[in-house]
Amino acid sequence: MSNFFVLINGEIQRMKKYNILTASIFVSLIWIGILHFIDVEDVTNIIPLLIFMDATSMAMLLVGVTFIYEKQEGTIRTLLVSPISKTEYILAKNFSNIIFNIFALVIMYGYSKLFKEVNLNFFAILGAVILVSFFHSMVGFLLTYFSKDFTDLLMGMMKYVFIFMTPVLLEEFNIITNNIFKKVLYIIPTKASLTLLKGATGGYETWKIWISILYIIFGTIILFYIVWKKFDEYAMKEGRD
Amino acid sequence: MYQINNLIFKYPKNKRDTIKDISFEIKDGEIFGLLGPSGVGKSTTQKILIKLLTGYKGEVLYKGRDLKFYEKDFYEEIGVGFEMPVHFSKLTAEENIDFFKKLYNSNIDTDSLLKRLGLYDDRKKKVSEFSKGMKIRLNFVRAMINNPKMLFLDEPTNGLDPSNARIVKEIIKEYKEQGGTVLLTTHLMNDVDELCDRVAFMADGKIAEISTPKDLKLKYGERKVEIEYKEGEGINKQSFELDSLGNNLEFLKLIKEKEIITIHSKENTLDDIFIKVTGVKKYE
Repeated sequence: MSNFFVLINGEIQRMKKYNILTASIFVSLIWIGILHFIDVEDVTNIIPLLIFMDATSMAMLLVGVTFIYEKQEGTIRTLLVSPISKTEYILAKNFSNIIFNIFALVIMYGYSKLFKEVNLNFFAILGAVILVSFFHSMVGFLLTYFSKDFTDLLMGMMKYVFIFMTPVLLEEFNIITNNIFKKVLYIIPTKASLTLLKGATGGYETWKIWISILYIIFGTIILFYIVWKKFDEYAMKEGRD
Repeated sequence: MYQINNLIFKYPKNKRDTIKDISFEIKDGEIFGLLGPSGVGKSTTQKILIKLLTGYKGEVLYKGRDLKFYEKDFYEEIGVGFEMPVHFSKLTAEENIDFFKKLYNSNIDTDSLLKRLGLYDDRKKKVSEFSKGMKIRLNFVRAMINNPKMLFLDEPTNGLDPSNARIVKEIIKEYKEQGGTVLLTTHLMNDVDELCDRVAFMADGKIAEISTPKDLKLKYGERKVEIEYKEGEGINKQSFELDSLGNNLEFLKLIKEKEIITIHSKENTLDDIFIKVTGVKKYE
């Protein structure tokens, strides 16, 4: 697996050089700004919401951006004729993504510990970030497969946010209170993601957390399989000229 | 090195086969040219040989073993030079090379290759600052990075000035002398003439002709000699059959008595053969 670590290092190096790291730090600073200016001392319930935004949308975006750069610059071609497997390639992108999401969590958690009040299980939310980020990195891969360029990717992401994230947030803020709607939400992955993240605050029943864990894990396995299978088709499309 | 038997390939969304039952061999230590106009299946064939495309019919053997059974270690042995630049543009040339070097078990001395190709002094520049020619030369370094046994080169001198094109060709020749095998895809027939031991011309997904450049020239050329000579105030031209030229009294008399301006054998160039065999009027 030595090439796996070379690929992760390469991903992180390129994220720095292509200013993706800067953008990621900037987003983290926005989250810190929100925590700073919000007129609430105990931010225990706010951190999972901010992490929810970060670990879902940033995970999709980071995978998409790096993937599209590789497509545009043709480097995917030369990577495809290197001694790496597609599993290593896909996982390296995911792991470097997770590292960035963990970085955002640590910044937010550290700030809250120093300047605000926060009572959540750090290791529980760390585990949740890893699962949610992994799942949404896979979503990012799929969106990229069907995107011609960066604009297309952003459109795909906006559709995902509108269809899957907005209803969950509306329910979370008690804007939508209908019971049937609340139950229907359990079929979408973003509800399971938020449940997992909020589970670290101790505010959820254990069975709901376990169902969410299983949902995300099985969802990730299925998505990984699809991404893995579709990768050949993507490679072939890249290979035609 | 490679044995290709009855290879057929169709892209999933196409109705017709792109590769239509081709068979050929790439021998150990030779430079094999795969030639033809755009869209006849050269790139597709190459991509099958480097395992970028699967789902073909027929048989592709690499070192006597079915290519399908090779895993990622296969790429330790081959080097692929693409026609278009394939670099991370915001990384320096050195960073690009270092990244790819780490993926392989063995590496060449890239510094000396960079020096030879005139890139060493610019190795710390971002690739986005490179000219097209510099990027093409860096592509060549990328292809050679793992000291491959088999090298696939797609238009390796396209976009290079004559002196850099010469250097690249010299390196390819040296690579061959050291036992390396090359599959060369190019439109530049001068490169083919200079480098290739054997060539295959592709047309409409099939191999239209396969032989050595010399044999092809003989096959498609006219066995004649054309002489231009001074005649009074003007210039005359006369052709003679190449066979038994030494016994042709008219020819011997002419070169003895007249002032010769030019004398050429009428063998075809590879350019002419390309047009004849592939049926195109000009290169696409």
